[in-house]
Amino acid sequence: MIDSFAFSQAFSLLFSDFGPWLYVIPGLIIGLVFGAVPGLQISMAMAVFLPVTWSMDFLQAMLFLTSIFTGGAYGGGVTAILMNIPGSSSSVATAFDGHPMAHQGKHNEALGIGLGASVFGAFFGYTLLLLLIQPLAFVVLKLGPLEMVMVVIWGLTLIATLHGGAVANGLIAGLFGLILSQIGMSTTGTMRTTIGNPYLIDGISVVPAMIGIFAASELLRLRGSDYLVESSENRHISFRKLITGFVMAFKRPGALIRGSIIGALIGAVPGVGSSVANLVAYSEVRRSSKHPERFGKGEPDGLVAAESANSSSEGGSMTALLALGIPGGAATAVLLAAFSFHNLVGGPAFIRDQRDIVYSIIVGNMGQVLLLAIIGLLSLRVLGMIVRVPLSYLVPSVLALCAWGGFGITGTIAGPVTVMAFAGIGWLMRHHNYPVAATVIGLLLGRMTEGEIVRTLQISGGNPLSYLVERPIAIGLAILMISAVALPPIMRARAKRQKQQRAHASDK
Amino acid sequence: MPGRLSNLSLSHLAFLFMVAVTAVYLNWSAISASTKLYNLIVVVPVGITLIALIAGVIIKALRADTEVLQQDPAEQRAKLHTTLVDLLLLGLFAALCFGLTTVGFDIATFLFVWIGIVIGGERRWWLPPLYAALFTLFLVEGFGSLFPFPMPLLVL
Repeated sequence: MIDSFAFSQAFSLLFSDFGPWLYVIPGLIIGLVFGAVPGLQISMAMAVFLPVTWSMDFLQAMLFLTSIFTGGAYGGGVTAILMNIPGSSSSVATAFDGHPMAHQGKHNEALGIGLGASVFGAFFGYTLLLLLIQPLAFVVLKLGPLEMVMVVIWGLTLIATLHGGAVANGLIAGLFGLILSQIGMSTTGTMRTTIGNPYLIDGISVVPAMIGIFAASELLRLRGSDYLVESSENRHISFRKLITGFVMAFKRPGALIRGSIIGALIGAVPGVGSSVANLVAYSEVRRSSKHPERFGKGEPDGLVAAESANSSSEGGSMTALLALGIPGGAATAVLLAAFSFHNLVGGPAFIRDQRDIVYSIIVGNMGQVLLLAIIGLLSLRVLGMIVRVPLSYLVPSVLALCAWGGFGITGTIAGPVTVMAFAGIGWLMRHHNYPVAATVIGLLLGRMTEGEIVRTLQISGGNPLSYLVERPIAIGLAILMISAVALPPIMRARAKRQKQQRAHASDK
Repeated sequence: MPGRLSNLSLSHLAFLFMVAVTAVYLNWSAISASTKLYNLIVVVPVGITLIALIAGVIIKALRADTEVLQQDPAEQRAKLHTTLVDLLLLGLFAALCFGLTTVGFDIATFLFVWIGIVIGGERRWWLPPLYAALFTLFLVEGFGSLFPFPMPLLVL
């Protein structure tokens, strides 16, 4: 599986001098900051700093850009945990249990768990990539729109489990997001309504909508308190508790490994990536848990699953880039641009001819992940101080930052106005116990769902069932998804019935 | 009970009405644009399910026995006050969003943060404008310098 000669050459490339590592720490810090600020995207950070790589050699450039990627994947989780505002779409599920933990005064542990899970997930993703880059590339080539439909529907099933007390509320919120994703031009080029607004031709911009619906509703809820963490004893940043949390992540191997595997596999599918991976991993760990009722209330397993999945998906997304030359998302598209900067093209020929470089990138990223553990622990002490800022100052400051973030993404008034419109919707939804996260999931996955279904129908000539029979991976995914959704409640109901029967028998 | 329809509040009803209108309008617009399956594959089933769910929620609320909970007048007043301050802050936020490109990023942000802090309960008169000015300067020089787009400014 591993070419030992190329592997040893990779080590000498990486460790013969300090050059390749020179820009890794700045890259990780840039990623952490961009990931943590709502509205600043990881891909934006990579694009902004891409011209800087012009003066670097190829390996330095790749390690610098991937360190932004690695730092950003974790940075998005920091605001999700502390303020219930995901820094990016890949941290949506992190907020589900991370923020309740912070609200209970366990913000140190939650940040530590998130970092531990991120470090493990990213390391796992790159290890898998190192061992399986060639077979994974073969599998990725076999994935068509039908398989993607299965993956996306799997992500959508999470909607049914998110509800503010009533399943109907979760479904209405999720379907509302799905229908809003249908505004503007369809995937086949039909112009549906833009509500008279030319900015909506490409549909609603998801990230500003996510910032508005999460941030404003949460900030207005928080407004009644004095601080993010009410108790003054719990408000201090404890390095010992951060370390305890970091270690705690590794004491939950089930959630950690399951989240990492799901993240790496979904991350490898071009166009799907970490925003779906964290949702699927969260819902699967929740479904298979012995205590699903604890999820959403500060269950560390939920946080571990979400963070390990969004970090391991990074290794997965590199599969398509390195092995096939296909960017799986915006961040890997910037990496591909760095390839062309240095007159290189990713794909089978790159793996065959430049295997030592491929291994260097992978091993270098593993090293970065270990550095992330140190940089993360040190920076969390600073980032965690947000719990000491009075909410009377924090709320207007973060709201202003959200409006700026909306502009930073679109470059027009459409961004801040989208943030504002969704802020109102989010406030109203939260007021009546509708889960705003379900709307975000619908909005995130709606267009993808439509596009993949349409492509499946086109390829199958309008007969998707007969096409399904010819697609063993899609059948496998469908069986996995149906059993993952249906089996846990059936098994729980059966266990409950058996318990009642035993109690009944012992009464007699 | 004023402001309530059975045990469904008017603001809840307004939310459900907004979702229903969105579903109907988007379906009408999609069907008018093209009746091809490819165009309607998501929008129609989702729209129908949404309308059915909303109807279910309303019918359930109308059928349910209305429990008129006697709320303490002081508690009611506090609730109303919270809602009004929320709406005030949302209104200010809307003004900020529109003001960024019309008034200028610097002035709109400075005013919003200043007023927002005062609404939040800060009583010291000198600290909110000082903090708002420093925060705006930080945003313009730090955050704004990363934007690849031109950013209208009035003072800075």
